Amino acid sequence: MSGQNLELWVEKYRPRRLDEIVDQREIVERLKEFVRDKNVPHLLFVGPPGTGKTTAALCLAYELYGGLWRDNTLELNASDERGIDVIRSRIKEYARTVPLGEVPFKLIILDEADNMTGDAQQALRRTMELFSRSTRFILIANYASKIIEPIQSRCAIFRFQPIPKGDFAARLRYIAEREGVKVLDEAIEAIWEESLGDMRKAINTLQAAAALNSVIDADAVYRALGKVTPAEVREMIKLALNGDFLSAREKLREALYSYGLSGLDIIKLVYREVTSPKGLELDERKRLEILELIGEINYRLVEGADDEIQLNALLAKLALVGGRGKV
Amino acid sequence: MSSRRVQPWTEKYRPRVIDEVIGNPDAKKAFIAWLNKWLAGRPEKKAALLYGPPGCGKTSLVHAAASQLGLELIEANASDVRTSEALKRRVLRAVTEGSLLGVRGKVILLDEVDGISPQDTGGLETILEIIQASRHPVVLTANDPWDPRLRDLRNVCELIEFKRLGLREVSSALSEICRKEGVECDPAVIRELASNSEGDLRAAINDLQSIALGKRKVTLEDLEVLGYRAKQESMFEIVRNVLVAKRPEAARLVLSIPSLDYEMLMQWLNENIPYQYSPSPVAIADAYDALSKADVTLSRIKRKQAWTLLPYALDMMTVGVAGARERPPFKFVKYSFPQKLRLLSTSKEVREERNRIAKAVATVCHVSTRKALLEMLPYIKVIYENNPLKGRLILEGLGVSEEDFCKAFRIEVKPEIRSRPSRRRRS
Repeated sequence: MSGQNLELWVEKYRPRRLDEIVDQREIVERLKEFVRDKNVPHLLFVGPPGTGKTTAALCLAYELYGGLWRDNTLELNASDERGIDVIRSRIKEYARTVPLGEVPFKLIILDEADNMTGDAQQALRRTMELFSRSTRFILIANYASKIIEPIQSRCAIFRFQPIPKGDFAARLRYIAEREGVKVLDEAIEAIWEESLGDMRKAINTLQAAAALNSVIDADAVYRALGKVTPAEVREMIKLALNGDFLSAREKLREALYSYGLSGLDIIKLVYREVTSPKGLELDERKRLEILELIGEINYRLVEGADDEIQLNALLAKLALVGGRGKV
Repeated sequence: MSSRRVQPWTEKYRPRVIDEVIGNPDAKKAFIAWLNKWLAGRPEKKAALLYGPPGCGKTSLVHAAASQLGLELIEANASDVRTSEALKRRVLRAVTEGSLLGVRGKVILLDEVDGISPQDTGGLETILEIIQASRHPVVLTANDPWDPRLRDLRNVCELIEFKRLGLREVSSALSEICRKEGVECDPAVIRELASNSEGDLRAAINDLQSIALGKRKVTLEDLEVLGYRAKQESMFEIVRNVLVAKRPEAARLVLSIPSLDYEMLMQWLNENIPYQYSPSPVAIADAYDALSKADVTLSRIKRKQAWTLLPYALDMMTVGVAGARERPPFKFVKYSFPQKLRLLSTSKEVREERNRIAKAVATVCHVSTRKALLEMLPYIKVIYENNPLKGRLILEGLGVSEEDFCKAFRIEVKPEIRSRPSRRRRS
């Protein structure tokens, strides 16, 4: 595959062929059959992040078309191409041209399809029918439940499982070995705990830790992860828990307006910070109290309109919990 | 406050017959004449536009006339949805049909047409359509009839001007209400309320109700609770009236300001709550909690076009915020403008740079821009900062210049240490 960045390990070690995919054996076998028959139904890949959904789609494209895969594959990301109109016009334009090579159809990979609104999905359903002779869709999503029934029923659904710890560790060791870095078991263990089987996150963590230390131990992993969380978010939580609401709000504003994070991004980071074993030192009761607050504000962020107001409400509550020990 | 629902006195004492409508004799005469022409046959203009400041009896006159003349009143007012769709659904059918048995006819009231926002797509065009199609009198009201968007409407309407009510008119109306409610009210209070209202009877009645409700006797001291009625005051004063309201309910008074921009008020409160309520973390947390709930409700309202929920959002952001527990004693605070807008514009460049880089990463790594920003860039930053050589190679591969990258993340460009020409082995 051309155009990839071989300096980033996630790309360098992204499997090129179906056989290289870690785990997901049954899925890989079925996909290989499709390649043999040179026939593919519409596909829906669902599963947690970093389990190889996009990789499987790209491998399938590569094995179907070989060197011509880029000419026959359109990659779209539903999170970026918000409007269905954009998707439709690009799909239309793309589907009009004839596939190159001996496979009689082209592929459209629609990633993060669960970020499409219901309306957009309805429109997509029609588009899928309209172009089904010349194109096949691979829809990729974290949750099948967010894809409307009529689309699900048009697709063969493949459920990607979280990568088992053994395969996960083996892959990381393989990469470390190829890169000539020494990685300790405790580091693998730490990465496993922090990434929860998300291979993209794991490999990124490994590479960041390798930049910090020639021998990757657990400490390097945690230090790397600490630096990855925008410093603003971490400081924000600390300031709030110390009862300094105004300074915490300053940090929040940096994260929102300078860094350009969304409210949901930030609440995710706060959650990660509060739950991570190497994160904040809190007694368990307080941690639970805080988690409840995070959950509530997360809900309000989804329902509400103004991210800053919602997160200020969280910070004000954190200042209360930190200061007095009860809400 | 007691939990039983209290009917607003402005509703309870809305005039039932034309004679009870206070003030504006000329406007009343003109309106009745126009209405009579309709009832007799065909008027010159099919619609009437009643305009004037708030609380001077425009809506009341229409209500009174309808009930006195036995007309069925079909109303679409500011709290309803006024998109073209909704208007058509609610009103257009009604105006082209005859009336139900037993009533002589109908009158259509579209309140506060100058309040139709540009978002209510096609709302004004639909009103024109309704007037064209109507077989019944159509009455519009507005505070400012000279809004350019209303030009077409003005042309098809009989214009009837309402003026601010006089001090005497407001006073006598208030006295009458006190009598009916059995409240003994100091005449000085009545005078004060009337003069504060500046001819807005609705405002005056609301004020009266908030100080007199549940009381037998009202004195000048009670008036203090109210502060004073905010008329087109600066946002500073509005924020102050919410945050330091003596009683939480008194904060609600700011809602009667006709030009209140409640979204702006939210931003101002968001900015200034901690300044006014520190050093009490409980008060700050409570106030923000109320503000956050107001935001959630407002957002639902917009999403579902459920404008009937608006009062809850407004109460939450005024009474709710002012109702914070453990509010610190009053202190004078100089309020700030909301920083959000300023910050958004000053940080625009950095944000755009970051998004541009994220896009480059997204393409190479088969992820969304958002994911690239959140799950790729932070790692690349850590690698660059700790191993600039490696970092540079990565950036090169992404087609992102080192300078841009550092600018976007506000980090120092690492000194150029090209891979040192491999140390010559001394042999």
